[in-house]
Amino acid sequence: MPVTFNIKLNIFSKDSLKLDGASVSLAIETVNLTKRYSRLTAVDKLNLNVSANTVHGFLGPNGAGKTTTIKVLVGLLRADEGVARIFGEEVSGDKPNVRFRIGYMPELPKFPKHLKGSELLDIYGRMYGLSQQQRRDELPKLFEQVGLKGRENDQIGKYSKGMQQRLGIAQALLSEPQLVILDEPSLGLDPVGMVEVRELIKSVLKEGMTVFLSSHLLFEVQQVCSHVTIINRGVALVSDTIENVSHKIKGPATLQIEVTKLTKTIVEDLKKLPYVTDVKTENNKVSIMLGTQNDVRPQVSETITNSGGTIVSMNLVGQSLEDVFVQLIGKAEEKGGN
Amino acid sequence: MTRRESKRSWRTSFLAVVRYELLWNIRKKKIIGVLILAFVFATLALVLPVILRNLNNQPIEPNPDYVITTGTGIGSFAFFLFALVSVMNSISGEFESGSITPLLTKPISRTTVYLGKIFAALLTVFGAYVLLIVYMAAGGYIIYGPQNNMHLISITLLGSIMSTLVWMSIVLAMGSVSKSSMLAALLGIGIWLGLNIVSGILSVFSNQAWILTYAPGSGASGTLNASGSGNQSSVSTGTDSIASILITYVLNPAANVTFYRMELNLSNPGRINQIPLYTEPLSTIVSRSIAVAAVYILVFNFIAWYALKRSQVAE
Repeated sequence: MPVTFNIKLNIFSKDSLKLDGASVSLAIETVNLTKRYSRLTAVDKLNLNVSANTVHGFLGPNGAGKTTTIKVLVGLLRADEGVARIFGEEVSGDKPNVRFRIGYMPELPKFPKHLKGSELLDIYGRMYGLSQQQRRDELPKLFEQVGLKGRENDQIGKYSKGMQQRLGIAQALLSEPQLVILDEPSLGLDPVGMVEVRELIKSVLKEGMTVFLSSHLLFEVQQVCSHVTIINRGVALVSDTIENVSHKIKGPATLQIEVTKLTKTIVEDLKKLPYVTDVKTENNKVSIMLGTQNDVRPQVSETITNSGGTIVSMNLVGQSLEDVFVQLIGKAEEKGGN
Repeated sequence: MTRRESKRSWRTSFLAVVRYELLWNIRKKKIIGVLILAFVFATLALVLPVILRNLNNQPIEPNPDYVITTGTGIGSFAFFLFALVSVMNSISGEFESGSITPLLTKPISRTTVYLGKIFAALLTVFGAYVLLIVYMAAGGYIIYGPQNNMHLISITLLGSIMSTLVWMSIVLAMGSVSKSSMLAALLGIGIWLGLNIVSGILSVFSNQAWILTYAPGSGASGTLNASGSGNQSSVSTGTDSIASILITYVLNPAANVTFYRMELNLSNPGRINQIPLYTEPLSTIVSRSIAVAAVYILVFNFIAWYALKRSQVAE
């Protein structure tokens, strides 16, 4: 059975914004957001809803329009069409009050090299209106949290790429903002650095923060986020909880079953089940391709038992988010190519 | 709202930008280099005449007007250099290095960023000029004895800063529009050099020297006619000369300035005839120079501010 991608039609329904019957405010909302660079449409009528108090991944391959979208959200770029809102306030124009609620870590952050790390955070703290006492109390803690303790009085020009990423995270969290936007936080780091930064993000995020994490690394999003929007060529392909995304659009799952003795009757009876699309056997193991998203393990178990078989083990192998991602992007590319 | 208590105000944001920029300025090698150069020239201005007189066995005569006439010890070129090094990468440098991204995403308006940056540049120049003036005053006192009209030294300082601000505005506008420090510097140097060459030619050989009163730079040169004092010193009209013409005006409020055109004397080769063009009250020249400088400052700052305000940060 072919996999369909009709979820895109449903993801922005009002129901998706309800949690326990209560209306959840949106931290980020874009309506038909479009941004062009001369002929190239980087973001194409993007509709994005990020509920408050969620950790939302923004996933897509390089050049998908993630950074452009984020730059519109933080006021660095102007949208050509459509609207972007942060906590209900439009972001078009120079809006310090909107940015006050955002902590933003740019992709490959660059800071003035002549400043010391401590000077930079002190100045940024002043810009957020933190008192001298707050800065004195909080900055050392923040440096410790991000692993820059002992290096805060070094000039940023002497920082390694990883240290600059850490400083980027620190300055994004400086004011304990309501919304933290992290754009490719582990980009350009070696594998060890990537793990460290990911662990750092997990450890420093606090309750009540909404986090919007852009990444082209699927496992990063999978490990850190509760929700995900997958974007390609400036178009959102899907947006929901990671669980729902995997569940709703995953293709045929496979049931791998081991029985004490595999007989022809068992195989024939299994093939008769309406949701079974194919059956493969190997010794006492049988793999059943399922054409349904429902959990049919009880019915399959009953069928095997009724056919005289005894189940030793049963595993439902579903698609990972990676499979979903690859399929979605592949489909979108095909569509784009046509 | 952030979850931390915030005392954010325009003042705190502005002062944060000033601090951000000042910490950069005082560490800029270019600024330190130009300051050292200025002190070298100021030292030469103080010491060279003494050395020459000693070599010729001439005594050093007291000169109570030395400090007020030499001011900071620096002139048009130094004003331009200070302007160039203090602002050539204030905005464009941030775009080039990418540090503009975190800066513009902080909760401060771009107008505040702009005002903070130019104020910090002015403070840097102010500090440099104060050091130079104090140095010149001390040196002048030691070499030439007690000085007159020292209360007018603040006029020298303000005039020099205004002259520098004209060039700062021009360079800042170039940088803000082009987003390239190199281009800003080259355009700035080109404008400064071009105007100096053109004004040199126009001022000496043309009937149209009046045009220079409306151009930034050293302007047209004339001769002071201060009735009663016999003062026949040279006066420049340009935006670079605000300090000196203000001092001259305070000391000679009723003076006029006559402008001349130079003409080669064909019947007597080697001699140059001075042909009077027009005469103006010094008060007119002073007020016009200040007004012209103010217009340049406003126009170029508006261009620079507008370019920053409308900038998109795609990279």
